[in-house]
Amino acid sequence: MNEFRLAAILALLAGGVFFTFVSIVGVLRLPDVYARAHTASQTDTLGAGLVVGAVVLAYGAETEVIKAVLLLVFIFITNPTAAHAVTRAAYEEGIEPWTEGDERR
Amino acid sequence: MADQTQDPAPGDALLVPVGESVTLRNTVANAIETAAEEGFAEAHFVTPVTWHHVGDVDRAAREAVRRLLDRVSVWADEDTPEGGPTVRTNVIGSDEYLFSPDDYAAVLAEYADEHEIERILVDPEYSPGGNVPLLRPMEVALAKRGFEVSEAPTSRPVRRSRLTRAGGALQFGLLFGVSFLFYQLLGGFSIVTGDSFDFFYELFSGSLAAGIVAGTLYTVSLSDRTRIRSLLPQFVRLVLFVPYLLYEIVKSNVVITYIILHPKLPIDPRLTRVRSAVWGGPALTTLANSITLTPGTLTVRTEGQDLYVHGLFAGAREGIAAGSLERAVRFVFYGRRTAAIPSPEERGDYEELQGPDAAPAPPDGGEEELP
Amino acid sequence: MTLAVPTLTDAFLAAAAVLVVLAIAVLYRAVVGPTMQDRVIAVNVLGTNTVIILALLAVALDSESFLDIALVYALLNFLMAVAISKFTVKRGDVI
Repeated sequence: MNEFRLAAILALLAGGVFFTFVSIVGVLRLPDVYARAHTASQTDTLGAGLVVGAVVLAYGAETEVIKAVLLLVFIFITNPTAAHAVTRAAYEEGIEPWTEGDERR
Repeated sequence: MADQTQDPAPGDALLVPVGESVTLRNTVANAIETAAEEGFAEAHFVTPVTWHHVGDVDRAAREAVRRLLDRVSVWADEDTPEGGPTVRTNVIGSDEYLFSPDDYAAVLAEYADEHEIERILVDPEYSPGGNVPLLRPMEVALAKRGFEVSEAPTSRPVRRSRLTRAGGALQFGLLFGVSFLFYQLLGGFSIVTGDSFDFFYELFSGSLAAGIVAGTLYTVSLSDRTRIRSLLPQFVRLVLFVPYLLYEIVKSNVVITYIILHPKLPIDPRLTRVRSAVWGGPALTTLANSITLTPGTLTVRTEGQDLYVHGLFAGAREGIAAGSLERAVRFVFYGRRTAAIPSPEERGDYEELQGPDAAPAPPDGGEEELP
Repeated sequence: MTLAVPTLTDAFLAAAAVLVVLAIAVLYRAVVGPTMQDRVIAVNVLGTNTVIILALLAVALDSESFLDIALVYALLNFLMAVAISKFTVKRGDVI
């Protein structure tokens, strides 16, 4: 394993953990369901993408790479869809999106 | 198609709105039968259409509607007895947006008034709004306008749910292939790497599993009629689209990271509505999911071609109003020439539902029709 | 699969450990809510975290079967979110 690949793996890992951290801070800090769904679907997806990228690089060229890539594709398709399903449910229950000046929920 | 020019006597014709549906054939037969029995001189089959009038991208859609009406008139001619009703086919509403059941009812009513028709027959599986059920509210709206509305009785023992559509061998084959590949993937492809026992074992168990999946689900998934010919270029363009999407995701993730980690949390969320210039399940899904994947914007709900997008901050909403993702999705599904269209803001298809310059309509809590 | 450099395994394990801590933190939202949808989002994030922890462990512990589990877990996680969203809405209708 050469130096460059090692550095790339470490960078991807660090980036992935960082964006996951951001997404969880977002879920904890943001004021309502809709805003939380933003980070849950997007920042989390990027975090997961970077981590799985690191896994792919670590495996190099083995059949496991296909599974890891497939995992990546799943996450990229299912995460936004799940966020959409959840927020649509919230919308249909009549939860109004939080706007500037409202009380924090 | 037997067209005739003289005006019919008032109330002497039957109006049937038609669209792609599993019971279309039955409806046509029933309409002709009803018209013959009740002594109508004409049967009008009309298709209300919803396409945007920008560019020539809708040529495919126009073509599809033309073919549908051709088919309807052939079927109708087949069924028409000697001295039966004259069959007419028409496309209506092609120069206006049709979104709510009322819109559909309005164009149908206009057509009916023009031709002095009082009796309307609808296909029970007709779904004018694609995946949005507009049929029942449309019937109610038509009845309110004083038309005599009825549904064509169709002779199917089991009422199929909206989810299922007629599936063909192609759907079955595609689903079988994908399931089989997925099965082998989870098995680490020992079908090719293992010995002969492995080969037969994997072949048998894989076929069984894929067969069960495809057999039970082929009418559910891939509900649109799959066209192999347009699939390949779409796939190529989709591959081109992915790096662009990734770039957008990373770029705006940096912004959202700044906002979330900022001590003051400078967000200004607002719900907006965009009338997108894409249609059909796969294209609309791709657009909605791309919007959701791009940080700062989240598709909350779709209603026909209307997307309710929650924008977390002003910059994200401007991106939606500028419509770059919409162009990219049009590029993927309809080709390169169609990508150059005005942005939703320029078309007047973008509005903010909250905030200072909000449109009067507040977000409703699901009182209206839902899937 | 040979990982000659021990620091790499350590890095993957460390990343997994950090993610576990983060996953515990997001439990706050799952418990506090306040709406059902908030909880679903929190559990969904937790699930995505679990998936990537599994992927990390697959490398760190050199056991490829973890990737299969991660794949299946990702699908289940998605199904969970969609199913709960569908069935908690009062009209109780599917699709």
